[in-house]
Amino acid sequence: MKRDAELGAVGKPHPRLEGPDKVSGRARYACDLRLPRQLYARVLRCPLPHARLSRIDTSRAEGLRAVHAVLSSANAPEVPWYDTSRLFDRELRFVGEEVAAVAAESEEIAEDALRLIAVDYEPLPVEEKAGKPDVRQRGDIAAGFREAQVVIEETYTTQTALHNCLEPHGCTAVWEGDALTLYESTQGIFAVREEIAAKLGLSEERVRVVTEHMGGGFGSKQIAWKHSVIAALLARQSGRAVQLVLERDAENLAVGNRNATRQHLRLGAKRDGTLTAIEVSARVEQGAYLAGGEASDVTGTYLTLYRCPNVRAEQIQVSTHRGPAAAFRAPGYAEANFALESAMDELARKLGMDPIELRLRNYAEVDQDQRKPYTSVDSLRKCYQQIRGHFQKSAKKYGIGFAAHDWAAGAGHPPAEARVEMANGGARLVIGAQDIGTGTRTALAQIAAEELKLPLEKIIVSIGDTRDAPYGPTSAGSSTLASLAPAVRAAAQAAKAGREGLGKRAPNPKHKSVRTCGAQCAEVEVDSETGEVTVLRIVAAHDCGRIVNPLLVDSQISGGVTQALGFALTEERIVDAASGVVLNANLEEYKLPTAGDVPQITHASLSLPDDEANAAGIKGVGEPPLIPTAAAIANAVFDATGIRVRELPISREKLIR
Amino acid sequence: MRAFSYHAPSTLSDAFAFLDARTRPLAGGTDLLTLMKADLVAPERLVNVKALLPRGIAAGTDGLTIGALTTLEEIEKDAAVAKRYAALAKAAAVAASPQLRNMATIGGNLLQRPRCWYFRNPRLDCWLKGGEHCPARDGENRLHAVFGPGPCHAVHPSDLAPALAAFDAQVLLRSPRGERALPLEIFFTLPSAGRRTENVLAPDELIVSLRLPPTPEGTKSVYLKAMDRKQWAFALVAVAAVLQLEGRRVVHAHIVLGGVATIPWRAASAERALVGGDLSAATLERAAAAALEEALPLAHNAYKLPLARALVRRALESLAP
Repeated sequence: MKRDAELGAVGKPHPRLEGPDKVSGRARYACDLRLPRQLYARVLRCPLPHARLSRIDTSRAEGLRAVHAVLSSANAPEVPWYDTSRLFDRELRFVGEEVAAVAAESEEIAEDALRLIAVDYEPLPVEEKAGKPDVRQRGDIAAGFREAQVVIEETYTTQTALHNCLEPHGCTAVWEGDALTLYESTQGIFAVREEIAAKLGLSEERVRVVTEHMGGGFGSKQIAWKHSVIAALLARQSGRAVQLVLERDAENLAVGNRNATRQHLRLGAKRDGTLTAIEVSARVEQGAYLAGGEASDVTGTYLTLYRCPNVRAEQIQVSTHRGPAAAFRAPGYAEANFALESAMDELARKLGMDPIELRLRNYAEVDQDQRKPYTSVDSLRKCYQQIRGHFQKSAKKYGIGFAAHDWAAGAGHPPAEARVEMANGGARLVIGAQDIGTGTRTALAQIAAEELKLPLEKIIVSIGDTRDAPYGPTSAGSSTLASLAPAVRAAAQAAKAGREGLGKRAPNPKHKSVRTCGAQCAEVEVDSETGEVTVLRIVAAHDCGRIVNPLLVDSQISGGVTQALGFALTEERIVDAASGVVLNANLEEYKLPTAGDVPQITHASLSLPDDEANAAGIKGVGEPPLIPTAAAIANAVFDATGIRVRELPISREKLIR
Repeated sequence: MRAFSYHAPSTLSDAFAFLDARTRPLAGGTDLLTLMKADLVAPERLVNVKALLPRGIAAGTDGLTIGALTTLEEIEKDAAVAKRYAALAKAAAVAASPQLRNMATIGGNLLQRPRCWYFRNPRLDCWLKGGEHCPARDGENRLHAVFGPGPCHAVHPSDLAPALAAFDAQVLLRSPRGERALPLEIFFTLPSAGRRTENVLAPDELIVSLRLPPTPEGTKSVYLKAMDRKQWAFALVAVAAVLQLEGRRVVHAHIVLGGVATIPWRAASAERALVGGDLSAATLERAAAAALEEALPLAHNAYKLPLARALVRRALESLAP
């Protein structure tokens, strides 16, 4: 691709194409659909953390007027689910697990029907089970610690966080003959098509998945969940369209969370700051089932963020009787970053070193895990540089904290395809991906406009429908744009040359490693009498390759930092130990940041085209802004108070002295 | 939510004809609807009283009258309240969110049920809902009471109630049997086995209005609230302080804490530590400590003691001339 300065549509802050539809209410989400004779479904959920269903009687629910279908283990097909379970299993492993479902003419009638279902549960013991450690290592860890002149050894914990997508999980299922259409809120229309077809024993061509718009996914919507199959089965049973949208508490019980971790960490370094050994043992609470999708890789960053010859990182999955964990915006890395970057701050203070100097001393120029050089060797240095200018030493009672990060994803990859059709002096761009909310439509239209030398308004983007679209990837791993932009370029080039406008994503470079990375600095004020933390400012610099649309990158940074602010300060799923019931599966006591909590966020990223990475020089920025914020805030809180909080969230009681 | 019938009678006496144990009056609905959605209450009938009770604020030489249907937003914005009852205006301003303050009425605000996450969770039983014991006592009680003997350990959620109590407000109640006026300190009474609610309102009784006595010359007041985030959260701890000063000498002091007990909690020993004295740093410190001296924290809420001490001291500091 040309240099940024020579580009037309790419690099411009174009407002989102779908913006007017969203603010005017014209944009249709999965739960907005109203089809003729449509029914509404509700799900009965298990009240116990571990139980065997010994009897279920749905006859009274079936007899209720305006109830058209009831499903439970008594009549549902044996659809395998999770690693070892079924759609409606008789062994239930967490409070909130699906027991039965009803489709009725209104949500209220469906709820009435649920109350008429009689279930006997036989309680089973509640216990945690730790799996075998998964160990990744290099060098000689014992020798590394013998060489060390300074050692930091601490335990850090991160809490279970809830995605709380503004739009909950949900879908509307409609059959036409033996073909199923699912209007779904998903990050992966093709992934859902594949999974649902397999679960229902249909060929993939018989399943169409549509996601026109979505109100958040954050990783929790990258797989097919039970509600989609339940809606499809209820629709088949009733012969009518069925809409199943999860209530807020179901959303927070049964369709994913960020796994809690306990990380015991040892860092060894020489007096000049050179790291000689990194050792971590991470216990990861995965919940009752392995949900699938992107894995939570807690050990990954320990192997790559800093140059260190001796590393031992082990991850132990612990199964519990809680709702299953699922990918949550930078799964594993956000949790690990809090521990590693807090420990690096502790090390810097012990050594009396500037925190950025310490990081530069241990700068990694090669991917030590994959043993390949990075495509953009200097980009993290540039991020440090961008941050450094923004902060001077702060006044007393204010604190400044710094954290760096890397992220395993963001490079994009094949398969990803695009189709461009020229017509009426403009072009139609057909993409089989979906806009998770990042502005995929707009960014891809800019790529096509650039290549076709057309004004943006001459590009019509069709996105979010598996019917007739070429394959599009799941919006996960900050990869959508980096995967699709090269395919769109190729398709546009073909169309411009008069050929069929099809483009495919080429593979990533074989001998180099593509990473995303960045750094953030936080300024906080702490009231030591009341424990109140006020985050005053966050400066964020992230390497996302070429910036296609600075407005969209700003949105990702604001959103990621805001979500991380909750992770750092206020968000935590609270479970009553005695009953296994989640006490704050709602937006009242699960405290997301409000507008009043969000500080000034300065976006200091540079466009750093990574032309070795792919044909568009683009990398992702969906997840990175969330990764270093919690550590930066914790480090700033220490700077302000001298109190090192090693357990997230940093709530008042940890700071009142 | 379960089905219910909706009634909008045109007179208050018609409304009273509906009121019984199976019926709920509907005003702002901001608490009632959340209780119904969680199936904690399931009234067969709702009676709209929005057109039947007084709304608005009347200020006179004899004090202030606030109609039961007055919204929190109207209290927050009222000039007389802001001038003479500053703590009340501030309490209204930091309650809930603008959307809720536009809907919520002062009558409903006083009657709202606790936000205790055991009480509110339909999957769990608790003493206040008629169960055997309080699961918060040995459970997740970070948000719970540090005063009061139990058996319920929920805290009262209202921001306005402590401020109103600190101004010696009276609540005017009406039922088919007639009217009665109760000081808030009597209206709010700890629940007991025979009455598992936080107040003495009868099922067929409505709050009509609130009356606040006039504030003598030299009266100053403030409301401070600590939350888990900057806005839109119930109080971890709140303090309403009303002082009448002659110079630096305290003639009269009322201090009522929120977020620490199942009802608004009068800090009588703090008041005693202040009256007759000056507002020296040592006095304020002594009063703040006295406010908490009978607290009995649970396993996860001991932080409320230093937090409340700090808020009481700061509230008093802010009132010192």
